[in-house]
Amino acid sequence: MADKVCLQPCLGLRKEAVLGRQALYVVHEDLRPETTVLGCGPALNANVQEDVDFIELYPVIAVEACELDCATRLVDKKGRKAAQALRIGDLANELGIDLASLPEHHIDADHPAVQAVAKRIAEQVDSLVRVA
Amino acid sequence: MAEEREFKVAVLPCNGIGRLVSTIVRLSGYRIREMRPDQVVLLSSGRLAVKDPEHLVLFEAYPVLVIDGCRPHCASFMCDELGKTPAARLYVADVAAESKLSVAGEKRRGLTAKGGKLVEALAKKAVDEIDRIIADEMLSTL
Repeated sequence: MADKVCLQPCLGLRKEAVLGRQALYVVHEDLRPETTVLGCGPALNANVQEDVDFIELYPVIAVEACELDCATRLVDKKGRKAAQALRIGDLANELGIDLASLPEHHIDADHPAVQAVAKRIAEQVDSLVRVA
Repeated sequence: MAEEREFKVAVLPCNGIGRLVSTIVRLSGYRIREMRPDQVVLLSSGRLAVKDPEHLVLFEAYPVLVIDGCRPHCASFMCDELGKTPAARLYVADVAAESKLSVAGEKRRGLTAKGGKLVEALAKKAVDEIDRIIADEMLSTL
């Protein structure tokens, strides 16, 4: 088991990506600040050392907005495998979130949909992290 | 009769997540598309990083405006990696300095009106570049 988990979002443009991104801020800043790091896709692609270290040191949860699975593939491109991949659309279905009703470009972090997705991702973090 | 050519610019914002400027860049991308809906193709850095073929076609078809949020200039790196020289590059710090806008105290998870001013300034600067690039493309065909 690991000490921390790297949260690696796809960072695409669609609504699912916006929901995922906001949920990851909530996980990283509010729910699991001690056990998560937030991976930045373009920085990882550009070999920014901090982001390379994140995927080398910690198991990765790839958070995807669509079936292209760009976050998972980016981690592959850098020679690692994501420990888990979560698709926001699947989580939204499981949680009964109506994506069509959400704003397009920005969703407040305290929106119930963001909070629900964040809570679900935090549970996945816990499944990968060593219990102290 | 000659076929009418489509003049557009592909905008590549870094769309990172780690910093406040990431949010500024991301929101300015949407704003740029709103301001020039018929001239802008908004690119996803996530899709380009993994060379999604559909997205590569758009990247290759149009002149590219790159918007970098922070010092590693990751959107510029992506453009270089894919072998294309951008038609223009914008860097958030330059626009903040030029427009004398401070975003101290803003949060990456959500901006107030203060951060929104820098989003607008960046989008305006980008639109000026887009208009220039399109004018240059059009005039070069005459």
